Amino acid sequence: MTRSVVQRDTLRGAKLIGAVAVVVALVTLPAYGDQYTLTTFIRTIYFGFLALSVGFLLGQGGMISLTQTAFFGISGYVVGLLGAERGVPFPIPELAGLALVAVTAFLFGLIVMRTHGIVLLMLTLALGQICWSFARQNTSVLHGWAGIRGIQPPSVLGLDLTQNATFYWMSLVIFGLGLLLLWRLVESPFGLALNGIRESPRRMSALGYPVFWLRVTAFVIAALYAGVGGILAAWSSGIVTPTALQLSRTIWILLIVILGGARYFWGPVLGAVIAVWLDVIISQLTPRYNTVIGIVFVVVILVAPNGILGVWERISAKRRRFREVAENEHAEALSTAPKARRRLSRAEED
Amino acid sequence: MDTRYVILVLNGLTQGAIFFVLGSGLTLAFGLMRIVNMSHGAFYLLGGYLGLATFRLTGSWTVAVVAAGLSIALLGLLLERGMLARVREGGDLSQTLLTIALSMIIADVALAIWGGHSLSIRSPAAISMPVTIFGITYPGFRYVLMAISVLIALLLWLILYRTRFGIAVRASVDDREIVSALGVRIDTVYSLMFMLSAFLGGVAGVLGGTYLQLSPGEDTTILTYSLVVVIVGGLGSLMGAVVSSLILGQILSFSLAYAPQMSMFLVFVPMAIVLAVRPEGLFGRRV
Repeated sequence: MTRSVVQRDTLRGAKLIGAVAVVVALVTLPAYGDQYTLTTFIRTIYFGFLALSVGFLLGQGGMISLTQTAFFGISGYVVGLLGAERGVPFPIPELAGLALVAVTAFLFGLIVMRTHGIVLLMLTLALGQICWSFARQNTSVLHGWAGIRGIQPPSVLGLDLTQNATFYWMSLVIFGLGLLLLWRLVESPFGLALNGIRESPRRMSALGYPVFWLRVTAFVIAALYAGVGGILAAWSSGIVTPTALQLSRTIWILLIVILGGARYFWGPVLGAVIAVWLDVIISQLTPRYNTVIGIVFVVVILVAPNGILGVWERISAKRRRFREVAENEHAEALSTAPKARRRLSRAEED
Repeated sequence: MDTRYVILVLNGLTQGAIFFVLGSGLTLAFGLMRIVNMSHGAFYLLGGYLGLATFRLTGSWTVAVVAAGLSIALLGLLLERGMLARVREGGDLSQTLLTIALSMIIADVALAIWGGHSLSIRSPAAISMPVTIFGITYPGFRYVLMAISVLIALLLWLILYRTRFGIAVRASVDDREIVSALGVRIDTVYSLMFMLSAFLGGVAGVLGGTYLQLSPGEDTTILTYSLVVVIVGGLGSLMGAVVSSLILGQILSFSLAYAPQMSMFLVFVPMAIVLAVRPEGLFGRRV
């Protein structure tokens, strides 16, 4: 028994050390990584925001939305239209972009959030496609396929964000803040209510929760995450085209989330890291990128519907069960003093 | 009346005819199986390409239509038996996600084989001469498209309401367990329905590939149109598919003429209105 307490402490210690190591490695990356690695990590971060957006809705609220890339595109387009083309100074284009994302998400949410499951998936897909085709067809303002070029990151607080390393650090900080905020949100009463809606909307409704408005709120919050990702992407790549809103991109993000494990907080992040690097590797090997990704998708759905973290949890649960059985036998053989055992287990619970 | 408007209406009818062939398959499969086949657009594209290949080989347009329909139906059977049936326990969502993944693969393979240029199937010479009715000249082939679509609608109605298969389908929509307890092989019904749906997708690809053109990316555009047809008409309703594809065809035709920069955007308007007033669609039942 005492041994398992010790084990748990070492496990927690190991986790902490691991987390610190990851953070240190990420922060010092510009010191040892080349420019290409840095750019890839920046890509991971802005797609990570998009993945968090999809993952939050799917994992916490049980809603599959295929509109999120549209929000990613909308904020990018606003930054391009106002900032790059009309020279409006920072932070007005960025804030305007996020505001437009919030308003659009609210209106879309009013339309789609009464539906669930597949109908919701269909509706959000149609909405996303409509935004995409609008970007593609509109040549007078959005320049059709060509999109908007020449977007520059602003200089904030005297930082030169055109420098790759500085831009990377800034993205990392914003991503950390985004994660922290999302973590608080997931743990808040709002997050718990959302989990309740995921399990049973009808029961939550009977308990008096405003299910529809909670879902609309979640939709707007998720859209803002996608919007932040879109701004970072526009700054980093300097260009916004209809490709940013494309369905294949939407599906790719969905794959990222499911690959990592939609039910888990870190699932979308893990998925984004893997998928962006996989992207780099596969593109070097074969032009049939989508086929490979599609096959990965099929395998994940057939074999591991809860993603990598789901597999991980299953394995460690099996190991823990195995250990517990062994310990119980050990304890029964050793001690017949129930009082002491009870005290110990209470201490363990604390 | 100005002949220009009549031409636009006729264009809309042609477009609507293709939409119906596409949407009817999707909506019927949904009504029965509760899955939205997200690879329907990819079925359309692949069907079109296969039709094109057959046409180049045999020179017969009719053979191309039948061959494309049948091969996509076969593909549908393989997917349904090989994959969708396996995850049926996992719920409708994982089945739908599977079809999304499949659509990616199909579209990419099609891109590898037929390349990135847009291709078009030549309409058969025998029926492509212009036909003049009431002083309005319009390509005869497009009348043929409309006729094919009407014929398919009639056949679907006959299948659904006048055959044992249709009875089994309609009963399964209401209560799949009782139907299966009554001795109907529900899995066979599912497979047949999915094949029928895929068949229609493949046929639509040849029709669309002849009227318009086939190119990469067309699959997602087509998927969106067919989803809008299904949503506006009501999930699972044949009548709904007829009405909504007629409406969408007209909207698309007129907006292409008068507001080409927003033609797809305008398709969204009826969808928003219908969803606001009748979330279950024009002819749909509440799900």
